[in-house]
Amino acid sequence: MEDLKNAFDFSDFPRIDLIVAGAVLIFLFGFPLFPHSSFAMSTMIQFLMFSLYAMGWNTIGGFGGQVDLGQAQYLGIGAYTTAIMLVRWDTPFWISMPVGILMSVIWSFIIGYPLFRLKGHYFAIASIAASLVLKDIFEVWEFVGAARGIEILSMKYSPPDFMRLIFKEDIYYYFVILLFFIIGLLILNAFRKSRLGFQLRSIRDNEDVARSLGINVQWAKMKTYAIATAMISATGAFHACYIKNIEPEDTMSLDLSILIALMAMLGGSGSLWGPIIGAAVLVPLKSYLKALLGAASGMVGIDLIFYGGIIMLISAIEPKGIWGIVEKRRRRRRN
Amino acid sequence: MVLLEADKITKRFGGLVANDSISFEVKNGELLGLIGPNGAGKTTLFNCISGAHQIDSGRILFDGKDITKLNSYEVARLGLARTFQIYVASGDLNVLENIMVGCFMRTSSTAKAKSMAEAVLKELELTDIAKSMMNELPVAVQKRVTMATALGTSPKLLLLDEVAAGLNPSEIENIMTVIRYIHEKMGITVVLIEHVMEMVMKLSQRVIVLDYGKKIAEGDPSSVVRHPDVIRAYLGERYAREYAATRPDSGA
Ligand SMILES: Nc1ncnc2c1ncn2[C@@H]1O[C@H](COP(=O)(O)OP(=O)(O)OP(=O)(O)O)[C@@H](O)[C@H]1O
Ligand SMILES: [Mg+2]
Repeated sequence: MEDLKNAFDFSDFPRIDLIVAGAVLIFLFGFPLFPHSSFAMSTMIQFLMFSLYAMGWNTIGGFGGQVDLGQAQYLGIGAYTTAIMLVRWDTPFWISMPVGILMSVIWSFIIGYPLFRLKGHYFAIASIAASLVLKDIFEVWEFVGAARGIEILSMKYSPPDFMRLIFKEDIYYYFVILLFFIIGLLILNAFRKSRLGFQLRSIRDNEDVARSLGINVQWAKMKTYAIATAMISATGAFHACYIKNIEPEDTMSLDLSILIALMAMLGGSGSLWGPIIGAAVLVPLKSYLKALLGAASGMVGIDLIFYGGIIMLISAIEPKGIWGIVEKRRRRRRN
Repeated sequence: MVLLEADKITKRFGGLVANDSISFEVKNGELLGLIGPNGAGKTTLFNCISGAHQIDSGRILFDGKDITKLNSYEVARLGLARTFQIYVASGDLNVLENIMVGCFMRTSSTAKAKSMAEAVLKELELTDIAKSMMNELPVAVQKRVTMATALGTSPKLLLLDEVAAGLNPSEIENIMTVIRYIHEKMGITVVLIEHVMEMVMKLSQRVIVLDYGKKIAEGDPSSVVRHPDVIRAYLGERYAREYAATRPDSGA
């Protein structure tokens, strides 16, 4: 399997990148072993989760340049599938998560088929509209708890329960999501070097040229969209077990979709490290703002102003985000 | 053997007939020139043949297959490659990666695509700039890379749309060498749209002339440039006189 080999091959990065990446990885493994506050722990788990969301988004949005603003719906499908299957049928996480992925992928083809007939701003706006359909349905659908959502009652289980992913201490969740994070990174690394990854970059460059090189643009986008949704859905399934109380508002909202896209764009769309960098900047900032403002943080507007500012900064300074700035510097130094 | 056969291709944009019932053939191994004034419909003809436009009427056969209704990616997979007149270099892929995208049409393996792309780079003497970004390169080199990308798909027929536009005489000389190499050494059939007449005259074995969407002349280069309609529509009297003066033997 060439893809598997590619997943573990990071040799095209300069040594300094690999040293930094190695140090970060050691830190991630070591962090829970040292004294830490529960705030720090939950921020770290959020960071790993949002890195994964942003990695998923980065395949279609970054490499493919299709600014999708509806990925939260797949987070929701993943979260709801796992929560419902656990609460109603006591299904283990390791079964409900793949089922959620399957449902997300099927839904992504249904949505993606009309969506990818559109381009540019039309695509972005339609992706928002399409994503809100599901949220509206879930808000009134009794089977899934309507607007109240679903609650996983952890006292019904005896933690640590590795089959159902029910734990008392966050450290268990931390290591599970760290494993997901590493797998996500390997998937993105393989994608980047795969035929599909190259095709998506060519599509981002120029669709007419891409077609003239034998690329079925619509199909390539749909396949990549499915990969993105699979990654996001798997992480959403984790979200359900970790948060335990899910509602349409906090699993499928537009805010969340924007945040996911923004992290990838800020860190560097179309790069391997970008989503991680973006999540590393925005997640602590988000947690900090929330702690600082308390209840007021939920006030409509504050975070939106914030996101809007970041979007303006990215487009004004460097469309390829923080990693784009690093790469430009390197290039200049070499020439 | 006929590689491409266009039968009464018509393409309209609203009231404008950009290609008006154009018929022609390209023989296997041929190098065909396609000339005509601005707006004559040359690029449109490429778009029709390559499947970028769906034609309003007519029929196109490529390599024995009817490709009239096919999409451009399907036509490309049959072995018809092209370059674009308007090309905006982006900073997204480097030269090697650009060519690899073309090679991926024939293989799904990254390692294979890379070695195929490296072979193309070597053939077109671009190995030194493999890691350069397109937008860092001079236009003349960009043009060569776009040709290399098309060649990455291992085509039977290559359509070149004004690859010499905006180049200086020595760059034109250079690109002519490349086109000759592609045609003679790599054995690829070429159709060439070009306004640089020197290039058309030296390279093509046969020339087709379009004007206002219609084919007005066809034949070997030296007879086409003496065709009264071609002189009137495109070349002008001055070119004809100068051409006759440089080639006294060919007579006028
Ligand atoms: N997509 C389009 N929509 C509408 N009109 C078009 C389109 N493409 C080309 N045309 C028109 O068709 C005519 C032929 O254009 P075309 O680009 O084929 O000319 P050309 O022979 O390639 O000219 P040039 O030498 O300037 O490149 C022009 O009048 C042009 O404006
Ligand atoms: Mg043209």
